[in-house]
Order: sequence, then C-alpha cells, then structure tokens
Amino acid sequence: MSEAYFPVGPGLGMEENFLSLDDILMSQEKLPGRAESALPRLAVMLGRGAGSAESVPEGSKLEIPLWLAKGLHDSKRRIISVELPKIYKEAWRTVFSADANVVDLHKMGPYYYGFGSQLLNFENPENPEIAQTDSVCSLQTFIARFRRIMDSSQNAYNEDTSALVARLDELERALFQVGQKGLNDFQCWEKGQASQITASSLVQNYGKRKLAEVDG
Amino acid sequence: MEPAEVEFLAEKELVTIVPNFSLDRIHLIGGDLGPFNPGLPVEVPVWLAINLKQRQKCRLIPPEWMDVGKLEEIRDQERKKDTFTPMPSPYYMELTKLLLNYASDNIPRADEIRTLVKDTWDTRMAKLRLSADSFVRQQEAHAKLDNLTLMEINSTGTFLTQALDHMYKLRTNLQPGESSHSQDF
Repeated sequence: MSEAYFPVGPGLGMEENFLSLDDILMSQEKLPGRAESALPRLAVMLGRGAGSAESVPEGSKLEIPLWLAKGLHDSKRRIISVELPKIYKEAWRTVFSADANVVDLHKMGPYYYGFGSQLLNFENPENPEIAQTDSVCSLQTFIARFRRIMDSSQNAYNEDTSALVARLDELERALFQVGQKGLNDFQCWEKGQASQITASSLVQNYGKRKLAEVDG
Repeated sequence: MEPAEVEFLAEKELVTIVPNFSLDRIHLIGGDLGPFNPGLPVEVPVWLAINLKQRQKCRLIPPEWMDVGKLEEIRDQERKKDTFTPMPSPYYMELTKLLLNYASDNIPRADEIRTLVKDTWDTRMAKLRLSADSFVRQQEAHAKLDNLTLMEINSTGTFLTQALDHMYKLRTNLQPGESSHSQDF
C-alpha cells in the first residue's frame, strides 16, 4: 500500500457516504420538481423572486438540487414532488438499450449512475416499476460500456486520452484511471524505471532553486 | 501490489550460475547456499545471481525453458487454445526481464527470446480481458482461471475488482428491500 490517504468512495445504492466528495458533488445536481404547497419567503433562495418576503406559489415548477429535494421530501407532508429528469425516462432508455457506447454520459450529468441510484429514494407512486427498469437499464449500460473502458484504458499508453474520456461519467472515469495506472505501472517497471529514484512530483512543484544555480 | 513487489517475489526463484570465485557454504536465514567453486555450476536465487553478475563474479546459465524453440512452442500453443497454458515458470515475465537486462551476453538469441515472451504475454493478457468481459457481460457469479501468473493478475486485478464493485452497487438497487427510514415530526 503506497498511499497514505484513502479517499472515501461514493456510497452504496440508496445511501450516500457522508464523507465522500463524489457524493457531495453529485448531490448538487438538479432535479425538476413542483412545489406542492406554497413556500413562504423562499422565493429568493430558489431564484424566483426579488423581494425577501415573497413566497413560491403552489404548483410552480422548480429545479431543486438533490440534497434539498431529499431533505424536503416526505410522503405525508407534501412540500414538493419530484419527477425523474428526462435522461432516466423511457425515451433515453431505448437509446441505451440500442447502443450504450454512443451516449455521452458526461454531458447528461456527470454522475449518471450515482444520481440514478439516489432517485430511488423518492417513493413515487409509479416508482417500483420505474425503479426496477431503471436499475436494470443502469446496470446494462454499465456492462455494455465496460468493455470499451477496459480496452481503452489498458491500451492507451502515453497518449492523449481526453478524447476517450470525454464521454464517460465520473464513475467510469475513476475506473478508467485505475486501469491506466495499472498499465503505466507495468510499463514503467518494464522499462526499468521502477528501481530508479526520481524526484517526487510534489517536490518538483515547489520550484526550489537547484544547487547549480545557487553556486553560480 | 506494485510490479516491483511482484518482481521482488520472483527473485526468490533458483537459477544456475557458474562462479569464478570460491567460497564456502554460506548460511542465510532462508537456507544454505554454496559452496562456490570456480567453474562448477551451482544453484542460487536470482537476487544473488544478478548481484554476482553485476560484480562480474559469475556467468549465468539460462533456464532450460528460455530457449527459442521451446518459447515458440509455448507461444503457438497459447494462441491456439482458449484457456491458459501452464507456463514453465510462475514468474516467466520477471525472470525474462531480469536475465535479459543483466545477463544478455550469457543467453543466446536474447532479442528473439524477448520478442517471443512479449508475444506470449500479449496473447495471455488479451485472453484475460476477453474472459473478464464475458464474465461481466453475463453477470456470472463465479469464474475460475487456471495457470495465471501473479504479474498478469496484478496488472488487471484492481480494475476488475473495482468494476465488479460498481456492478454490485448497481445491482443492490434492484432490491428496494426495506422501506426508507424517514423521520416524522
């Protein structure tokens, strides 16, 4: 184990990991929803009004970040109701089942998988079937794209990978980097660099004056 | 595990050398080595062989599998079959690299050997990836691969385990299970 710090990964299923940076960023993504009851004095916060005393009228459409939606969601006191963003709906699902490799998952919200898992938190009346088909679709998409990620991460050595990585969402990017690291470590070892002592990248960034310059 | 660590484990393998010095039997924690007599072949671990070679105190004898004919056979067999063929040494990749880097003058046709071993490695890695892909695609619960060496496992291991971890997380979403714990106030 050569690392001193292990970042906390994203959470499992419907639960987020409190300490995970990925989860925190992911929960900032917005969901479309509706205000079920009037929200007094919250117009400014939700970006819909100028005065501090304005309230959001009932039934108006809002774009709420996930963390706020989770907090306000309660099936008994109907404050807001959420609906699935369009990428998780029927139309996109057929695109995924046709060819999952083509879709630019980064553009569709860089946290497609994590966000999709979180959406199951909201008990929509039609949720059970949607949840099922949704999770199945997520899983199938992941499986279909797995091959592409594996091949590209294990074969692109020392090349510019930005074109390959542009269409992956964050979870897939992390996986891609793991694959690249494995490849790089192996190549580095094969060239014999593994036993050479090199300056650590942190130290190089300090920009210290080198010995030759000090003497001269 | 880093490739350097796998190489460290590989250096325990025994290889034959012909020393040009003499020394009595030495007693190390791992076992006894020697005695060393000039001109008589003796078996030592690779780490010692490389060290002695660098100090020009011995001549390395390549292991019997490190021969163009044999490696060609192995490579062709690897290409023909779908499963992994047993390799002559569980550390063939590391031994090839070490011996060819430090003792290429003692090994005939070193470049061809290097190419053959690389070909075999590429074929095996491609098979490994293919089998990983079919494992993921069919969502199998269990797979068994024989005759893999540690270096191959190490190169693809982290990626595969992380991908399977993600699949597990996505799969647990399929079972909504217990109702959500919400607070009522």
